Amino acid sequence: MINVTKMNGMKRNIHLVFTFIICVACFNVHAQSKLRVKGVVYDKDARDPLPGVTISTLEPKKTIGVTNINGEYTIDVAPNSVILFSYIGFVTQRVTLKANETTANVYLASDNRALEEIVIRGYQKRTREETTGASTTVLAKDIQDIPASNVEQLLQGKVAGLNIQLNTGAPGFRGSIQIRGLSNLSISGSGSESYLQSNSPLYIIDGVPIDADKAAEYGFQTQGPGVSPTSLIPPEDIESIEVLKDAQATSLYGSRGAFGVIIITTKRGNSAVPRVRYTTNAFINSPPKLRETVGGNAERNAKIQQILNNSLSEGDIIRLSNTNFLADSLNAYWNNSVDWQSVFYQTTFNQTHNIAIDGGNQTFNYKTNLGYYTEKGVIKNTGFDRYSLNMNMEYKPSNKFRFFGALFGALGQQSKGNGVGLLQSGVAANGQASSLLPPPSFYQATSSVVSALSTTNSNNSRNLRANVEGRYEFIPGLALTSSLSYDFTSDTEDTFTPAAANNQFARVYAFTGRNYTLYNRNNLSYFKTLGSHELFFSAFNEIYKKGRQASIIRQEKTANDQLQGPVGFDSYFSRGGGVLDNYGDERIASFAGAFSYNFKKKYVLDLSFRLDGSSLSGAEDPYSKNPAVGLRWNFYKENWFAGLGWLSDGSIRASWGKNINPNGSLQSLYGLYTVNGNYNNNPAIGVVYDQIPNPNLKPTTTEQYNLGFDLGLFENRIELNFDTYFKHVKNMLFDRQLADITGFNRVVSNDASIANYGYELAITAHPFKPGKDFNLSFSVNGAINRDVLTSLPVDQYGQFIKFDGDQNYLQHVVYRVGRNTLSNYLRMNQGTYANDDDVPVDPYSGLKYRTDGVYFQGGDPILKDVNGDYILDGADYEIAGNSQPLFVGGLSTNITYKSWGLNVYSSFTAKRTILNNALSDRLAIMRDPFALTSVVPLQNLDIWTQPGDFTKYPNPYDYGRYNQVRPFRKDQTLWAEDGSYFKINSVTLSYNFDKKLISRLGLYNLRVYFSTNNVATFSSYSGPNPENVNALGRDNSNGYPVPRTYNIGLNLELNSGK
Amino acid sequence: MKRITTIFLLTVVTLSSCKKIFDLPTEREYISPNINFNNKIWEPVIGRNSISKQGLNTDNSTLPLKFEIVNARYGDGRPVTDLFQVRPTWVWTKEYTGEEKSLEEIQAKRKLENHPLFEIRPSGEFIMWGSSTNELIEPRAADSSNLPQNTRYFDIKVSNTGGSILLKDFQLRPFRERPYAPADDLNFYTGGPAPDPINKTNPFLRNYIRPGLANVTGKATNKNLESNDNRKDVVVFIRPFTGGNGHNLRIMAIDKDGVPIDPAKFNETKWTTMLHAFNMVKTEGYVQYDVAYPIPLTTRATAYSDGNTARVALEYSRNVFGGNRVTASMWLNFSIYREGDWEIVFQFLTDNPKFEDD
Repeated sequence: MINVTKMNGMKRNIHLVFTFIICVACFNVHAQSKLRVKGVVYDKDARDPLPGVTISTLEPKKTIGVTNINGEYTIDVAPNSVILFSYIGFVTQRVTLKANETTANVYLASDNRALEEIVIRGYQKRTREETTGASTTVLAKDIQDIPASNVEQLLQGKVAGLNIQLNTGAPGFRGSIQIRGLSNLSISGSGSESYLQSNSPLYIIDGVPIDADKAAEYGFQTQGPGVSPTSLIPPEDIESIEVLKDAQATSLYGSRGAFGVIIITTKRGNSAVPRVRYTTNAFINSPPKLRETVGGNAERNAKIQQILNNSLSEGDIIRLSNTNFLADSLNAYWNNSVDWQSVFYQTTFNQTHNIAIDGGNQTFNYKTNLGYYTEKGVIKNTGFDRYSLNMNMEYKPSNKFRFFGALFGALGQQSKGNGVGLLQSGVAANGQASSLLPPPSFYQATSSVVSALSTTNSNNSRNLRANVEGRYEFIPGLALTSSLSYDFTSDTEDTFTPAAANNQFARVYAFTGRNYTLYNRNNLSYFKTLGSHELFFSAFNEIYKKGRQASIIRQEKTANDQLQGPVGFDSYFSRGGGVLDNYGDERIASFAGAFSYNFKKKYVLDLSFRLDGSSLSGAEDPYSKNPAVGLRWNFYKENWFAGLGWLSDGSIRASWGKNINPNGSLQSLYGLYTVNGNYNNNPAIGVVYDQIPNPNLKPTTTEQYNLGFDLGLFENRIELNFDTYFKHVKNMLFDRQLADITGFNRVVSNDASIANYGYELAITAHPFKPGKDFNLSFSVNGAINRDVLTSLPVDQYGQFIKFDGDQNYLQHVVYRVGRNTLSNYLRMNQGTYANDDDVPVDPYSGLKYRTDGVYFQGGDPILKDVNGDYILDGADYEIAGNSQPLFVGGLSTNITYKSWGLNVYSSFTAKRTILNNALSDRLAIMRDPFALTSVVPLQNLDIWTQPGDFTKYPNPYDYGRYNQVRPFRKDQTLWAEDGSYFKINSVTLSYNFDKKLISRLGLYNLRVYFSTNNVATFSSYSGPNPENVNALGRDNSNGYPVPRTYNIGLNLELNSGK
Repeated sequence: MKRITTIFLLTVVTLSSCKKIFDLPTEREYISPNINFNNKIWEPVIGRNSISKQGLNTDNSTLPLKFEIVNARYGDGRPVTDLFQVRPTWVWTKEYTGEEKSLEEIQAKRKLENHPLFEIRPSGEFIMWGSSTNELIEPRAADSSNLPQNTRYFDIKVSNTGGSILLKDFQLRPFRERPYAPADDLNFYTGGPAPDPINKTNPFLRNYIRPGLANVTGKATNKNLESNDNRKDVVVFIRPFTGGNGHNLRIMAIDKDGVPIDPAKFNETKWTTMLHAFNMVKTEGYVQYDVAYPIPLTTRATAYSDGNTARVALEYSRNVFGGNRVTASMWLNFSIYREGDWEIVFQFLTDNPKFEDD
């Protein structure tokens, strides 16, 4: 639970300004002594009506009414009396009625107490006190002040149980996100590019479900723009983000709800006079510390020394004389000292602008948000621009009818340079070039440099989303809500590779793709209060229609660097046309019912049932049944706690439920068919004998138990939320190999399952009583998650090894039932042989432990001979480590003093295994001193240099035996390190200018802030950044480093009539 | 307060044992049902160290696996026990490099250890130790038949903590001892003389070990001597002799009259570096060394061994017509497996070598 102290003292004054009473002409006086006063009580922050607000008179102190479900009240009071509006979780408002005032709309300011938050459940708003599920809300102020291309990264460390790893610094790309642990087994790619398929939570943006994984289906080798819909939302426009974690909370969201739900609510218009607010950030991205290299003559000397000390034959010495760049040191071509990394990395200046205009009242309000974000990558020729226009309006002429419409348009424009997706292999390889080579210049440029810097790459993702929602209340309590949305994304990628970068022939590449989702929901709900009993019924249906298709063309050998077609290319080598295999056409029809009951808001019961039919489930049984039950006991309302002044609130929650995620594909359900030959002179179409269709394919199902405990102490100055859960993910897709007699190779089945269980704790504390000038709040959250693989197909007998096809890596992944799901399958490194005599000898043969025909010797790694045959071979692997973090969480501190504010957010991840492939690459640079690669200083590493050295890392200089011994082979536990880290995500210092002072400038509000993002990471990890690793914990030196950002920003509000 | 604490603690305690409540599977070592040996019949030679993996495929079962030989029996059901007699055998404690300077240094690198004559080691490799003899293990039938009642069968139980698998009906068909190699002069089944390669059925002819010959000229014929299937000017005998210290090796050459040739005549022979042997004694009839058996000691390639065989080469040079000096060579790549006093005899059968200049 993230909860930040509002800037109490200072803001309360502002609240008074907001909380003015609107005077309307007075008429229709019922009685001489009493005046009938009507009005609506709103939540000041959320601008929503507040039901159940107690209205009392000051003298005598007695309750005279409460607001209804719509926040409305009608009271009869004496004129000029003082009335109090009090509601738990909000600051009590005192209103002095004027003589003939009959309407008083009141805005209650939040007391920032967790229990009274408005949360959204199954598209219905409820107070947190009445809900039984587990969720956490992050407010706009927790994610402001940091420019970010993707709003997800701002959530890191703010929600217990939400594991976000910002594992790429590529502008516009997403990190990884998981709610309550792992839900997926599927790994694509190989080597460092092994990619754990992302199973993002379902995003609901203003009631419209969005698939955040849309751009990620190809893993790292993403085709087309990898711009996720979540990268297209300007963070400035977000009002709140609610993260739903357990099955009860997510029960009504059906498709994809299995992996949690994140509800993003954008800002609504609410101001009697139009407000114009402007936010801008100017920020500098600086690349992190890059690899140290030895330059110029020092590199040459290091290489020569290495050859002289380690040559195994005279031939090497002769070869040294014949190697020009080493021997001919006076040759101008080789006499350089180039810092190749600086050719590719840069510090960039970037900016964002956001204008928000809103206005209106409860009857009619509107909002427009215009955003611009531009970020140039720290790797040259990469970057991300976002243009967004977001509008909504609400019309509510009466309590019976409400109409809401929203329009969201955004363009994400991204450049990946010559990289593919998240990877910048070309840059990484070039960054390792020898410093002796001449620098790139007008006359002299290597094709790889041209390729990295001159490839024109433009990715555009254009997203248009419209939704309308109408609500009509037939009789009090019975309402029909209908919502319709259409979401369309058009993706294009255009890449032009100049001739110099591509073997003297220019190339044109173009990708086009489109996605649409048509979504409709109709909801009938009924609310009834019977004395102390409150009942709520809801029934709705949902229909999705989704489709997508994409195609690629590639024209090779175009005429020159100026002509990009359409004519003049080599048709023999060119490819393209047709629809890519990610074609999709999907329907979902769901029916759901929910029932809620509470007694005096003390005992709460939630029941729901959902029937989901999906075209991505097997046609034999496309419907899945998803029930959920939730209970809540607000025990602090019990009489026996009445006397305890220090107990502000307390409750226990328990829930159970099921959710699904249909993740079949047309191919897995219906097979793949192709034209194969002719029959009777007609083309024959037959099934592809690889994957047999599985008409019984079921959606992935999660069944989850949750037990929660909430406590507020000392007037909620200490808030505590504890949740423990058990989540069983069943029916996960798994490729089963089939016997030859079936004629097919494999079938996609539902036979794998994982259990996740863990604990989440969030504590927020306000150590000092909220004061006028000084406020301090501190919150900490953490979550422990353990995952256990509970089943595999029977024919696997409890273990499946996903072999890494990349011979340079061989970092296999093993799934073993009863163990953490994703373990590495590696050679066990037990140190380095100090002396030749330390190598074990086979008592049978008298031969030393050996590999690939070469005997190990001092300075070689001790790789465990698991099978005991004194030969290191393909059998000597063992299961090791866990690539998924066990413990994640965050800390935040918010301090305000008068007009100053200081926010510090940090996050941590502990207990995960990282394979430090970057270090392996770095050491392996030394493998061939004759190659034109850079030399890295290794003095700071614990490496073996002479007999008798007990070291961690083997001898990197013995190049003669390198290819047999391969001391830096990637498939060993030498690279397995603990990836625990503590990161200071951001520090923000802000200053609010005095309102009187700035009013002379025509401003209503002016706030300046300085912030830095990705400030510092503390870790014992020996690589560059323990977070900049992929979801399988592989630190890929081809990856995109995460920059540090220094930002200066401004919030400004025009005095438009106040 | 107490009540809250109780509730809270109860909650924590209850849920901390999730693994039990929800009956999660516990991790077991993986043992694949597909573990197998591709080759179930092993035909080692008695009297020498033999090792074979027999195409073991552990199918990624969790290592180390425990391999046990069970139910050893003959085809007719009689139990087999002779294979498992325990005898001391040489095992290495340090690496033999070929650079040892004395016999003691070599012996310090190995020790005698008791092992069953036939065993399977933790890597799943079958081992027949060199301590086995024809007397301890009855070799396969001399008539080369494989009758079940004469064949040793056994099963292998493979296990780790995850379970066990019984692999059935392996066969061991040991060949009788051939204490040296090349053993071209021996019949592998009977141990008697091997038939002549050309006239296989002629009982009066036999096969011999044949040396390599280069430029060895016959004294009488003045032709290069040959040793092949058709002509045997020189043959080699590897045979035990008596009177040694138990680990002697003698090299000698005998002319066609049965008279030993003085080793000094082989003037180009690298007597001291040819074999990893010590304490050379050079007489007029032979050269004798102290050696460590078996020869070669290991399969490591050294200055004295190519990994499989040692090499003895008797060489001499002489001036020939035309004023050239030609080096003549007579060599044998050999192994000796049984410890003892052995001599390698180059026997000239048809003509004597010409040592004199032309």
